[in-house]
This record gives sequence, structure tokens and C-alpha cells, in this order.
Amino acid sequence: MTTTSATTPQTTSPPLRIVLAKVGLDGHDRGIKVVARALRDAGMHVIYAGLWQTPEAVVRAVADEDADWLGLSILSGAHLTLVPRVLELLRQAGLSHVRVLVGGIIPEKDIPALLEMGVARVFVPGTSLDDIVAYLRAQPRT
Amino acid sequence: MLSGLLQRFRAGDRLALARLLSLVSNGQHVEAIRAALPVPTQASCVVALTGAGGVGKSSLTGKLLDPIRASGRSVAVLACDPQSPLSGGALLGDRFRMPAFADDPGVYIRSLAAAGGQGALASHLDTLIALVEAFGFEVVLIETVGAGQGDTAVRALVDVLVLLLQPETGDELQWEKAGLLEVADVVVLHKADLPGADRVAAQITASLSLSAGEPPPLLRVSSRTEIGIAELWQTIEQRPRRRAQRSDPARLLRLAQDLLADRFWQRAELLEQWRSGQLDDLTAARLLLGDSPGH
Repeated sequence: MTTTSATTPQTTSPPLRIVLAKVGLDGHDRGIKVVARALRDAGMHVIYAGLWQTPEAVVRAVADEDADWLGLSILSGAHLTLVPRVLELLRQAGLSHVRVLVGGIIPEKDIPALLEMGVARVFVPGTSLDDIVAYLRAQPRT
Repeated sequence: MLSGLLQRFRAGDRLALARLLSLVSNGQHVEAIRAALPVPTQASCVVALTGAGGVGKSSLTGKLLDPIRASGRSVAVLACDPQSPLSGGALLGDRFRMPAFADDPGVYIRSLAAAGGQGALASHLDTLIALVEAFGFEVVLIETVGAGQGDTAVRALVDVLVLLLQPETGDELQWEKAGLLEVADVVVLHKADLPGADRVAAQITASLSLSAGEPPPLLRVSSRTEIGIAELWQTIEQRPRRRAQRSDPARLLRLAQDLLADRFWQRAELLEQWRSGQLDDLTAARLLLGDSPGH
């Protein structure tokens, strides 16, 4: 196989790269930080973009970081406005292959609409960290 | 697939650059990519910022983007954060501390994970620099992991090494320990708005004046109040470019080590012969280097 360092052979596939960000104006970042930590501990490379990001800045981060996944945390209720905007910008940037996760306070009734738009999966409060890790590991690499 | 990617890279496709950086980081096709890179039309100015964790490398890197862009030059940032030796995972948070420049094609920010035990450098950093340079970025800023003392291996790979120190980081003896001050091309007393800055600046100056030769410039900078940012960039620009002068062959050795490490793991047959005891250590190592056995 290949190697990531001079001292250790790379026996598994390269680490998944995932950008985690909060778009819009809500300031609750505890959840996304806990998820970031769990994904890091699962061996992934987490690019933490943090609070108050614009959709444009998030898409730029996904592009420049060559991310496999984008995780958006939204607790403001603006998911039906912000998520389609991010998805459209991803398409415009030639990043349709990047898969998008949404987490946060998302009412049950809005989940089908988000999935219909192209979101891969929605994680609501109460999801275990193990489930998120298992989900990401189970998905084929693009 | 690689040739298509390189073609898109040469045509200026940022997504191709991003993917090639991933491949090289993961140790995939490093030699082929390196060999295929176009000769840069102009050498980039490659600057590393190093210093202990918490000294403000990310914040200062972000602040430097303004004077660089104001001078009309494009800039790529390679921001290194540590990778877990246990899980291989990494939390790369440096970009969070820099302005986004989301609509400015002249700024490229990339987070890199650095495994331990390699002088705190990201794998194949030299080739990652060569990639952004060949893409046309005129300035390259490297933010090191911040291993503090000993984080000096990056010196050979860059034109200018900037060492960040801060007030309240320990007693006077810290400056005297070998390796830090003596390799810096520019010394920054960061967070210079904090109390105690005057005393520490005097200590650093005294320490620098003891070494033979021209001491590196010491600048007092604060990312919070933006004191000294423009002056720092001016100072960096005026330093001699180490890479252009080819004055440090350690960079060449580093590249050779990177390429050798990649080839090493591909030599399954050789490793198997060594495991089974058919080859002793030295013979196996020499074969790996291309020597004939018993040479």
C-alpha cells in the first residue's frame, strides 16, 4: 500500500476528511464540538470551521480542503433556508460528489425535505456518537 | 486518472490542486506527481511560522494575509496540526482562526495533519510546498504544529523561518536552550500588548546579541491590536531566500527520505526476505538503497 509517514505503513485507506461547520447565526457549538472530537478519535481528519460561517465560506473550505464530507450543525431553525443554499453552492463549485450531513434541532417533518434536496443523512438530538461514526464508515468512498 | 488530474492542475483548477495535495499527504504517487510538476514561472516566497502551542501562530498567519494581499500577491497557507499517534485522527482547527477570504481566488488555505516523530512536519511537506508553488501562489505560509523546542526541521524547507515567542513563557534560560533562537531568521515577540513584554524583549535581545554573526531582527507584534503586522511582513520580505540560494542541503535530504520511505513500503518481497531471516539488516537496507548485496 502507501504510507503516511516515514515510520508507519499505511495499511488502511487514507483518513476521511470532513468539514464541520455551523452556518447562520446560532451560537450553540457544544454539539458540533462533541461530534468533532468523536470523529477525530475514530481516526478521521476533522476540519473544524466553527461558528457563524457563511455558506460561501463553508463551500470554499470544502473545496480547498478536498473534503469527502460536510457536516452542518443548525440549531436556529433556518435549515430549510441554509441547507439548500449550501447544496446549490456546492453544485456550482463542482463539488456534487461531497456528501452532506445535517445535525441539530431538525423537526421530524422537515427531514424528508432535506433528504429530497440531497442531504445524505440527518442526525437529530439523541443520536449516539457511535451511530454517526458507524454510518460514516459504512459509506463507500467517492 | 493521475494524468487527467495533472492536466486540470496545469489549467489552474483549484479542485485538482486540492486533490493532489491529498494524494501527496497520503503518500500516494508522490514521486510521479513531483516529477510532473511544471517549473514555477517564479519562485514563491515560502515562510514558516513556528513556536510553542498557544503562542498565536494561526492568528498571526491570518493577520499576515492582509498585507500580502494588499501588495497584490496571491498566498497559500499550509496549516499543520497534530495527528493522533493512536487513532490517526486529527482535529484541524487553524482555519477557524483565519479570515475566510471566501470570494478571493488569491487565497488558498489548507489544513494538514502532522504525524509525530518527524520534527512536527506534515508528511511530504516539501512536495506540498512544490505543488502550491507550481500552481502559482506567490507566497506560501507554513504554520507548524508548534512542538516548541526542536521544531526546527522546517527551516531547511523554507525561505524564511519566523519564530514566535510570547511574554510569560518561562525564565530567561528558555532563550538559551539550543535550537530555537539560533535557527530563526526573524524573531517575533507576539502578544506584545501584554504586560511583561518589555522585560522579555530585553532578555531576547540580550540572548540574540551573544551569538556570533548578525542577530536576526526582533519585532514586537500583537495580532489583537494589529501592532507590528505590516512591519513584520516588510521584514520577512527583505530577508534572503534560503531555498533560492540552495544554501541548506537538508531540504534535499528530506526529499530523498520522503521518496525512500514510499519505496520502502512497496518493497514487499524484500521485507518478506528480511522477515524470514534470509537477509540481515544491513544487506536489506542496502538493497533498499539500490546497492548490490555484499557491496
